[in-house]
Amino acid sequence: MKGHEYRRAGRSALLSISVAVVMGLAFTVIAITSAWAHGEKAQMPFLRMRSVQWYDIVWSKAEVKVGETVEITGKFHLSEFWPDSIGYPKESFLNIGQPGAVFVRKEVFLNGTFVPRAFTLEPGKTYEFKIVLLARRPGDWHVHPVMNIRNGGPLSGPGEYIKVTGDYADFTNTVTTLDGKTFDLETFGLTGIYSWHFLWMAIAAVWVAYWFRRGGFISRCLRVAGSPDVQSADKMISPLDEKIALGFLGGTLLIVMVAFTRTEAALPRALPLQSGLITIAPGDPAMNAPENVLVKYERAIYDVPGRRLVVNLQITNNSNEPVQIGELNTASVRFLNPKVMKDAVKYPDYLLAPEGLSVSDEKPIAPGETRKLSIIAQDALWDTQRLADIYYGTDSSMAGLLVFLGQNGTRHVIEIGGPAVPNYTNIGLLKL
Amino acid sequence: MSYTDVDVPNRRDKVQAAFRSFGEVAAAASVLNWLLLFIFFCVLLGAYHIHTMLLMGDWDFWIDWKDRRYWPTVGPIVTIPFIAAAQFFFWEKFRLPFGATFVVLALLVGEWINRYVNFWGWTWFPVNFCWPTEFIPGALFIDCVLLMSRSYIMTAVIGGLGYALLMYPSNWPILAQFHMPVEKNGLVMTLADLMGFETVRTGTPEYIRLIEKGTLRSFGQDVVPVSSFFAGFVSMVMYLIWHFIGRWFSRTDFIARI
Repeated sequence: MKGHEYRRAGRSALLSISVAVVMGLAFTVIAITSAWAHGEKAQMPFLRMRSVQWYDIVWSKAEVKVGETVEITGKFHLSEFWPDSIGYPKESFLNIGQPGAVFVRKEVFLNGTFVPRAFTLEPGKTYEFKIVLLARRPGDWHVHPVMNIRNGGPLSGPGEYIKVTGDYADFTNTVTTLDGKTFDLETFGLTGIYSWHFLWMAIAAVWVAYWFRRGGFISRCLRVAGSPDVQSADKMISPLDEKIALGFLGGTLLIVMVAFTRTEAALPRALPLQSGLITIAPGDPAMNAPENVLVKYERAIYDVPGRRLVVNLQITNNSNEPVQIGELNTASVRFLNPKVMKDAVKYPDYLLAPEGLSVSDEKPIAPGETRKLSIIAQDALWDTQRLADIYYGTDSSMAGLLVFLGQNGTRHVIEIGGPAVPNYTNIGLLKL
Repeated sequence: MSYTDVDVPNRRDKVQAAFRSFGEVAAAASVLNWLLLFIFFCVLLGAYHIHTMLLMGDWDFWIDWKDRRYWPTVGPIVTIPFIAAAQFFFWEKFRLPFGATFVVLALLVGEWINRYVNFWGWTWFPVNFCWPTEFIPGALFIDCVLLMSRSYIMTAVIGGLGYALLMYPSNWPILAQFHMPVEKNGLVMTLADLMGFETVRTGTPEYIRLIEKGTLRSFGQDVVPVSSFFAGFVSMVMYLIWHFIGRWFSRTDFIARI
């Protein structure tokens, strides 16, 4: 290679390194202030439609300052059509989906029981929850309730953006121990952590430096290679080296012993980590009382080109008032019947089909009446939420919550579910 | 006929002729020493860090995983392999008894970079929630045992056991303060439990915490010594196995074939 070729290669290398450094800095230094929704759409439809039926989810505030709290409340019905392919919810955990530690989870209650650890859920039951979050990091954050199920994965509920304003420097998170000492968990123990790690790393560096200064690698390697036997090579370790090593050994053991003993004396009430399943209280009996509107699921077709689900139902109204179908809620997507129901809680747009549900016979079902009818849930959300893949699963079935409204305002929430047959053309769709 | 046969019949002379004085040789060796130190440090840091993250993972990441049973068991067992291999390499090739300390120091530097830049800088987990396990006292111990004994068997038996036994007590001065009890809505929790609850880890539900499980209660409440001795015995075996892997990685006979 000639001189100018070296220079050219050098310039290219310099340019490449510069670009890499600039890109690296760009990715690491530029502050990321918002995060996009993610996650749940990647899950197969049957997971979302037949596991946790989230409903009545309310975010108490859309904007908070650092250090203020926001509540997420709501209910979920654990599907009676629980898929066989995922684990039974023996060990479950009510979690939060959020991009990093942007909120501190102050409280989580399930049926009024505080649940900082895992618990057992029962399919077919309805539970109510309350999550209290403390705003920690400024930004726009998409926050979901998530139910983690062992062997079932994370099952996300609907998410909503919460804007956090203010400055992280103002954030504190204090706690008082049973000994009556109060600490800020943001900074608690940092001095000890940094001091001990720095001390040991400094000692280690001195140990390495001592030996490195005694010939480095090259000369020691040559001397070892040139030694006729092991004993000759071992003579590279001098008596002084051994004394210094003894000093390091003794010093290390002494520091560990003294520090351990003093810590034990200073903190006699240290407990082991706490673990174990938490038992959930039964909750409001009305949530799991038998409904007096009975629904028989007869047949369902998912119309692929039409992006609509058509379900044939037989409904018996045993209540004392006429009822109408107002909503189908499946996979957290709310298909509303606009003639009966409107969104009253500012449900997230990306999961709301305000005119997505129609009923073949809109006339209220009278008390004592049994009627066969079809509901049609139709919206582009079948595609955008990737629920259209319902016909592509290993167990082509659906489930969801059907919401009836009584004439007097009574609400009946009933889970329906069963097989869903795909229809690839429009032929035969109406022969339900 | 090879290139060497034709062009460099007296290679030794040419190498000697590359330096004009002994001072130049010493200077080049010094530069090479520092370069090797840097390369060894970075290579071992990267490899050991990946190894440790994959095998010790959450037990090393979070304080609400640092329990009395699995942490002192898993930690030494999964970290001693690199120690054994590195000790063999540095001792056998250079008679340098700093293999364990060197590789553990590299690991800790890598872990601190990871915890500070990634855990804190990118996802804002408090540093007091995700500090790495301290292994340096055990590493100094096992280095000194190798130096004194000059025997891999003795280093495996005494050093491996001591390395495991030292892990918990050398971390306790940092960890103990997080085990102070608090009451939260009628439940007793340690500060570590509380921080684990309050610091949301979307991908880490509480039930996957593998802590304090099992029936190891025969020695009363003090399960740490039992766990540590068990880790020590397994560490002895791991040391012997991995010192052979170090031996294999330290081979240089391939150079003769180049």
